[in-house]
Amino acid sequence: MAEPEKKKMSVAEMVAAARKADSGKSAEAPSEPAAESSAPEAAAPTAAPAAKPAAKPAAAGGAKMSVAEMLAAARAEKAPGAAAPKPAAAKPVAAEKPAPAAKPAAAKAAPKAPAAPTAPKDTGSILSETRSGAKPGPMSKAEAALKAPAAKPAAKEKPRAVVPPMPAKPDYAKPKPKVTVDESRRNFLTDVMLGSFLGIGFVSMGVTFGLWTLGTARFMFPNVLTEPPSKFKVGFPSNFAPGQVETKFIPQYGVWVVNYEYNGKSEIYALRSVCTHLGCTPNWLEGEQKFKCPCHGSGFYKDGINFEGPAPRPLERYAIRLADDGQLEIDKSKIFQEEIGQWSDPASFVAV
Amino acid sequence: MHGSSTDISGFLGGYYLFLAAMNAVMAFHVWHNRHRVGEAIFWIVVFFGLMAAAASSLGHSPPGLPEGLRNAVNYATGPVIYSVGTTALLVLAFVLRKFLVQPRVAWILLNVSLVLMGLSMVDPNFAAIVTKPDNVPIVGLVFLLGFFTWLATAQAVKNDERLKQGLEPLEKLDNEKVLVWPDLVYTELICMVALTAFLLIWAISLQAPLEEPASRVKTPNPSKAPWYFLGLQEMLVYYDPWMAGVVLPSLVLVGLAAIPFLDFNKKGNGYYTIDERKFSYLIFQFGFLEMWVTLIILGTFFRGPNWNIFGPFEFWDPHKVLALNNVDLSQYFWIYGMGEALPKAPPGSSLVWEILYILKREWLGIALLIGYFVALPPLMAVTVFRSFFVKMGFVRFMLMANLLLFMAALPLKMVLRWVWNLKYIVSIPEYFLNF
Repeated sequence: MAEPEKKKMSVAEMVAAARKADSGKSAEAPSEPAAESSAPEAAAPTAAPAAKPAAKPAAAGGAKMSVAEMLAAARAEKAPGAAAPKPAAAKPVAAEKPAPAAKPAAAKAAPKAPAAPTAPKDTGSILSETRSGAKPGPMSKAEAALKAPAAKPAAKEKPRAVVPPMPAKPDYAKPKPKVTVDESRRNFLTDVMLGSFLGIGFVSMGVTFGLWTLGTARFMFPNVLTEPPSKFKVGFPSNFAPGQVETKFIPQYGVWVVNYEYNGKSEIYALRSVCTHLGCTPNWLEGEQKFKCPCHGSGFYKDGINFEGPAPRPLERYAIRLADDGQLEIDKSKIFQEEIGQWSDPASFVAV
Repeated sequence: MHGSSTDISGFLGGYYLFLAAMNAVMAFHVWHNRHRVGEAIFWIVVFFGLMAAAASSLGHSPPGLPEGLRNAVNYATGPVIYSVGTTALLVLAFVLRKFLVQPRVAWILLNVSLVLMGLSMVDPNFAAIVTKPDNVPIVGLVFLLGFFTWLATAQAVKNDERLKQGLEPLEKLDNEKVLVWPDLVYTELICMVALTAFLLIWAISLQAPLEEPASRVKTPNPSKAPWYFLGLQEMLVYYDPWMAGVVLPSLVLVGLAAIPFLDFNKKGNGYYTIDERKFSYLIFQFGFLEMWVTLIILGTFFRGPNWNIFGPFEFWDPHKVLALNNVDLSQYFWIYGMGEALPKAPPGSSLVWEILYILKREWLGIALLIGYFVALPPLMAVTVFRSFFVKMGFVRFMLMANLLLFMAALPLKMVLRWVWNLKYIVSIPEYFLNF
């Protein structure tokens, strides 16, 4: 009671102690009187409840223990060691053969007892002895399995820590064979179909996703479209001088109106301002008299034919015609592609 | 951004001071821990040189590269020089790896590259590109990549030496395991705190590179992908978007996933080595450093307006004119070779006739492609890769050979484009089939 810190070491301290013990094991091994003196301290009531939940996995784990399990086992040993005579009685027995202990807590202590046959010890020595013979650091199950046969004879040679073979697993600790597994599998599908909670869950999830999908589909067809109309007028043909590329319709409509030649005939046509490579918007370079795409460097002549960069085909034309009032009318809903010969279609140009 | 020279000279002053301090620490380390006095004196001399550079930078006259040299570099910059140069550097780095991994050599190289960078920064065009907030991290990454490549190569060279002497690799000596808690978690925590602090300082000192509001009708010039995709963007310059945007990137992923199943070399597991895995090492170095990293650098620092290639000290003129007329293979064959027009189905003919005419037009390219992907792998199996074929078996070898050929297709296409202005080997724009 005098030193509360000593009873309740922090994890870091425990680990540090474990390492220290690991490195200089023989020197650090606890002597009898020291262990005895620590016993009354371990009688603290706080240690016992903390030990129980933590110690449970240790029983299932058998020989291979994680650090947490080792520490838990150490704590569990301290507490009953001072509080009750049970473990004290169990220990000598365990040294010869694994006794079927009455309480699970005692059974937990039993596998550990051979490692510390005399008295409760500090965390460091527990850790170091549990790891005896092993290389430092946590062990995987495979490594522990490899180590186990080698470690035991080695431990036996040493007079200090006599490690008898691990006790056989008691019956109640062995995994029970599953009897009902086939039946439940056979019924799984029907259970899901016919209203088990899982079935209800899956059906409602499916319905929800279905509704979402329908909602998304509805979203694709809005009630009101704010797009500009696909047909629009761009003025009289006389507004476009021969050889001119009109760029002022780009911001609103994305179209160049060009008065130029194609196949020797001079005509006015509307080029779609979408690069045929990957869909960027090319720039009209007046000085170089070409359309040039800033994304991958595709270049097009004034008539829209591709000549440099990766664009595989010419720019596309929109439909254009002379409206009744004499103005040019462009229809963006129709597209004409040169590579399949559509530019000879009279709807794709207005002859001048 | 900050084009004025006063900005740069202030920055350069600090930059050279940092370099000088770096070398002073090195001189002390060499003298104190290694007891090599002569080398320490050398680094002290370097230290004073850098201090002089810092002083003149702070006095608003930073040292720079001569005009003639800069013009020569600009003149020489081109796709051919760039790609041949980087490939040659890669080969040199491989051949001279035993020399280059010495810490002394590495330190000299680091100093040289940093000083060259400082000298180049005086040029306003160079500084404008390098100090763009978008590009600053890429500059950092280039140096970081150099360091890690060096580190891994040094480990591998050491291990190769040890393996030659019959010793086990270094990684097998130090196989002590540590605990996740606290060893790993604490390390991670410290890294997290340091990195967060670094990011905070960075975010405050370098403003986010926001651009004008996006517009459907105006594409920024040049339009660049995020830096890590610039290799793909470069690939798009040489291939149809279907190939470069969908097929080849998918193949990259599939190929990377297939490596464990293709690999038959059991050595080199868990330690660095080059000699034991030369083939894998070279393929990886080529694929990553040459096909990915150098293309990112090309895209970041050399691709300017209209996606033209500019020299490092060249003004990014959006009206730069380059002769880039590209010609399809079919045009080469029919127009230049045979002196005829391209075969074209008469108007109004049926679909079958149209397809037949297209096949006639593109027969040479199609034959070449089939030869490349179908005839070449068996040829490889009986010649260069004979031992591979024996070890891997038919299916695995064919898979590997085709993946390798796809990988080689990119540099081959680049060379064809640069040397003969070849656009597409097979060009069927009617059905969006181009290769």
